[in-house]
Amino acid sequence: MTVFKTSRRNFFAHKGRMALSAVAVMLSVAFVCGTLVFTDTMNTTFDKLFATTSSDVTVSPKAASTDDTPQSGRPESLPASLIDRTEKADGVKSAEGAVSSMNVTVVNSDNKNVGASNGAPTIAGNWTKNDLRSMEITAGHAPRGPTEAMVDADTADKHHLKMGDELRTIAVTGDFKAKIVGIATFKVTNPGAAIVYYDTATAQRELLGSTGRFTQINVTAAAGVTHTQLKANVSTVLTGSDEALKVQTQKELSDENQEGIGEFMNVIKYAMLGFAGIAFLVGIFLIINTFSMLVAQRTREIGLMRAIGSSRKQVNRSVLVEALFLGIVGSVLGVAAGVGIAIGLMKLMSAAGMHLSTADLTVKTVTPVIGLVLGVVVTVLAAYLPARRAGKVSPMAALRDAGTPADGKAGWIRGLIGLVLTGSGVAALFTAAGADKASDGALMLGAGVVLSLIGFVIIGPLLAGGVVRALSVVLLRAFGPVGRLAERNALRNPRRTGATGAALMIGLALVACLSVVGSSMVASATEELDKSVGTDFIIEGNQRIVPQAQKAIEDTPGMAHVTSYKMVEAKLTSPDGKTEDGDVTAADPTYASDLRRETIAGDLSAAYGKNAMSVGSLYAKKHGVQVGDTVTVAFKGGQSAKLKVAAITDDDTALDKGSRYLNVTTLEQYVPADKMPPNDMMFATAKDGQEKTAYTALKKSLDPYPQYQVRDQTDYKQQLKDQIGQLLNMVYGLLALAIIVAVLGVVNTLALSVVERTREIGLMRAIGLSRRQMRRMIRLESVVIALFGALLGLGLGMGWGATAHRLLALEGLKVLDIPWPTIIGVFIGSAFVGLFAALVPAFRAGRMNVLNAIATD
Amino acid sequence: MTSAVTIPRHGGTGERTAVAARARQVVKAYGSGETRVVALDQVDVDIARGRFTAIMGPSGSGKSTLMHCLAGLDTVSSGQIYLDETEITGLKDKKLTQLRRDRIGFIFQAYNLLPTLNALENITLPMDIAGRKPDKGWLSQVVETVGLASRLKHRPNQLSGGQQQRVAVARALAARPEIIFGDEPTGNLDSRAGAEVLGFLRRSVDELGQTMVMVTHDPVAASYADRVLYLADGRIVDEMFKPTADAVLDRMKDFDARGRTS
Repeated sequence: MTVFKTSRRNFFAHKGRMALSAVAVMLSVAFVCGTLVFTDTMNTTFDKLFATTSSDVTVSPKAASTDDTPQSGRPESLPASLIDRTEKADGVKSAEGAVSSMNVTVVNSDNKNVGASNGAPTIAGNWTKNDLRSMEITAGHAPRGPTEAMVDADTADKHHLKMGDELRTIAVTGDFKAKIVGIATFKVTNPGAAIVYYDTATAQRELLGSTGRFTQINVTAAAGVTHTQLKANVSTVLTGSDEALKVQTQKELSDENQEGIGEFMNVIKYAMLGFAGIAFLVGIFLIINTFSMLVAQRTREIGLMRAIGSSRKQVNRSVLVEALFLGIVGSVLGVAAGVGIAIGLMKLMSAAGMHLSTADLTVKTVTPVIGLVLGVVVTVLAAYLPARRAGKVSPMAALRDAGTPADGKAGWIRGLIGLVLTGSGVAALFTAAGADKASDGALMLGAGVVLSLIGFVIIGPLLAGGVVRALSVVLLRAFGPVGRLAERNALRNPRRTGATGAALMIGLALVACLSVVGSSMVASATEELDKSVGTDFIIEGNQRIVPQAQKAIEDTPGMAHVTSYKMVEAKLTSPDGKTEDGDVTAADPTYASDLRRETIAGDLSAAYGKNAMSVGSLYAKKHGVQVGDTVTVAFKGGQSAKLKVAAITDDDTALDKGSRYLNVTTLEQYVPADKMPPNDMMFATAKDGQEKTAYTALKKSLDPYPQYQVRDQTDYKQQLKDQIGQLLNMVYGLLALAIIVAVLGVVNTLALSVVERTREIGLMRAIGLSRRQMRRMIRLESVVIALFGALLGLGLGMGWGATAHRLLALEGLKVLDIPWPTIIGVFIGSAFVGLFAALVPAFRAGRMNVLNAIATD
Repeated sequence: MTSAVTIPRHGGTGERTAVAARARQVVKAYGSGETRVVALDQVDVDIARGRFTAIMGPSGSGKSTLMHCLAGLDTVSSGQIYLDETEITGLKDKKLTQLRRDRIGFIFQAYNLLPTLNALENITLPMDIAGRKPDKGWLSQVVETVGLASRLKHRPNQLSGGQQQRVAVARALAARPEIIFGDEPTGNLDSRAGAEVLGFLRRSVDELGQTMVMVTHDPVAASYADRVLYLADGRIVDEMFKPTADAVLDRMKDFDARGRTS
């Protein structure tokens, strides 16, 4: 009890010194809780949406799946006759045919896509009674003829659509136009899909290409009939139909829908939790440092406690109890802040066009529990070492002159352990770099990263001496005696400098590693594009290229040739009798010059001959396929074909790795027109000297089809760069959290050092160090600690990056590109981080009253 | 016994007066109204140049406050303090810091040295801060005087208490300040080490012509001075020239007795 009381008094007596540690715990816990609340809220939103949009029982073609666009670009459908059969089942109140397609693009009269820009789908379909479950018509009326359409209110708002505006729907079956006659508003939150309704006949004709078919049947139960009963009854009446069907209850369908989203949500969730973990790791350093310094400053007091009879255990426990307070305070604040972060994320998503409502905010009981437990456990564990040290303080310390705590020297055992770990980490990285298979290397890379990180953390204090001295020679000496004082201060407690720098090191190592990998990827891809791409223009988009757009491309003047490129799923049987699933690329023969591929055997142009194909070297090696062998290819939605292997392409590449080529005309022999996949991409090559006008003309031809982008090689490379850059920026953004915590650590170390050196500061001021010089001294110390962390982090990260690049090289990304501007920028940025961290401590040191400082006991 | 060496002043400003520092009607009060405590009550004092002055008095007499005010470490409530001809009362922190750096030396009771710097670096610190090059000849003379030549590369924690205080004396002397203030400079030392340090202070006055002001409550320490000022309740109540330890002790007893009876 007394232990508890003294701990509590200590905690509140030092609340200022605890504040930054509490903030670190809070940030980490907040990030974890924020992630959980955010993903749970997303799940709730989708749950509600799917639950209200699904009818009691739904009948749909077996092949239909929620996340996969069908090969032909037309949704799978079932005949209208099944509705009558379904209606005859017991317990059916009503059965209604619905048409819906996600493989469409809807544009306004200015050819602007009204769909979401963030990946949420555009859904076109017929307006049914089932839709009334989730929506209500808030303006106009439901569509009643071939020229009428209705849109959802969110989309109308976002794109300023009004009644009477004309919409053009682009489907694989063709374009059609309709005027808006109604606007329907969601009664639940719609996260972002754009929805357009037509009357049933129009939807069937334009989206499915045939009347008398539907994509699903929505069945409503009669009063008192459960969904499961209804499902059984419907299944019974439908058995024996020659269609492959699936019958699902509301729950089953919404679960299936949820599953598709769930995977995506899990990726987000675990990625964000990963970053929270990094922040926690950095926070641990901060907590260890804080408690070490508090214990050091309290040595005399602890000695007194020991002298008057406290046991080691009690002293030890008293420090841990303080950590417990810190953990609880930090975690409680963190849980609250986590909800704030979740709301902030939702707002951010809204800005990015994703609609989420705070009404759906979901805080599960488990969320605060996880946050609290995590925060408290981590804090107490981190405080364990300093607590043990406190326990070892001898009663004599009370009698001894406390003065400035003795310089903590890093022990040789510590150095040995650190060296062994670093050594094995480096060895693992070398092994990874020399691996023949990426999968083997990845494991070694992971081990190497973890080992070298821990090793660096442990030998950090040993490195602090050399690195800080080296940095000082370059940077601090210019500042004369003030620089020298700063250098000595940074060196006086290597363990503290090491731990403070290590916190920053972790975040920056990851930044360096990823920037090396990212820029190597861009450089490799660019080189590969330069080397192999012969075509002038690349056309692609988020909808496969519909025939009418394909025609527009082909009709563009000034082209030497235009190449179709489509992928089709198939089962391949090699001469050794083995069958495996694999994609086949069907292209025009001109593709061989659009993308030049090295061949190991045979002639690639021959692969575009009748009943011929090419295979990749990996496949050929695996199955012992030689030029002249026959491979049986069973095309999805078509027949089997026996194709002669005319060429084997070299798979040591990043572009089209493993692709098997055949001519589009070959594919047409085996796959009927209505199952034929649209082009995935197209390539166009201008006539000599007409590149500029051709590019403009091509863009103009595609004006009515905004879902497709035309890029010449320069733009294509730029886009590639932008995409990787964007991804990196997101990761950097998340790493910023770890860096913020590390900066808090620097602030904390400096603030506590200033308190610890009160007397020295007073002395220096008395003998004539000006305020400015005092502040500069502290700033310089901060800068040198930050740069120490940066140097270690960047070095380590570049090592990781270079190793990771060796693995990527096995996948064909061969160029190692170290982004020096980024690395140097981060290094210089760290100096500013140091300056920033020193702001408050330096100000306080400068303001310190000289007399009080001297008088401090 | 007196050496010909006098303090060569840098940037000398004309005629030197016999008074190195003076206080005129200095009042230092803390708090206000009912809780007002007067630490210095209209003190007038002249510190003679090239002399060793000791300030004595019982605890709470204001002796440390007087020294802090004279040294520009503390501000006064009213009155003026002059260092040579410069009025330091009313100077801004920046000027005051510069003044302390260039014209005043300090020796505190303890913690005089920066633990991260070795002895020599500690000695030259005020000049380093000012960006001045120490005068090599003068420096070695100072180092010689305090007998530290063999210990210049040692860190403070490798030196004994007496040695540390001698480094502090050397630091105070090295910058050739107009005046050195000592706040119980031997308070933390045993009598032998104390005598050693006091001897150096005395020699620096005699041989180097240094002006020295020292606050102490130790009659033996005070006996090293040329003049002893007695403070009680914030006023200067007495003074003694050419004191001996016994005389000082008697005077102190006398004060104590008077304090008790009044």
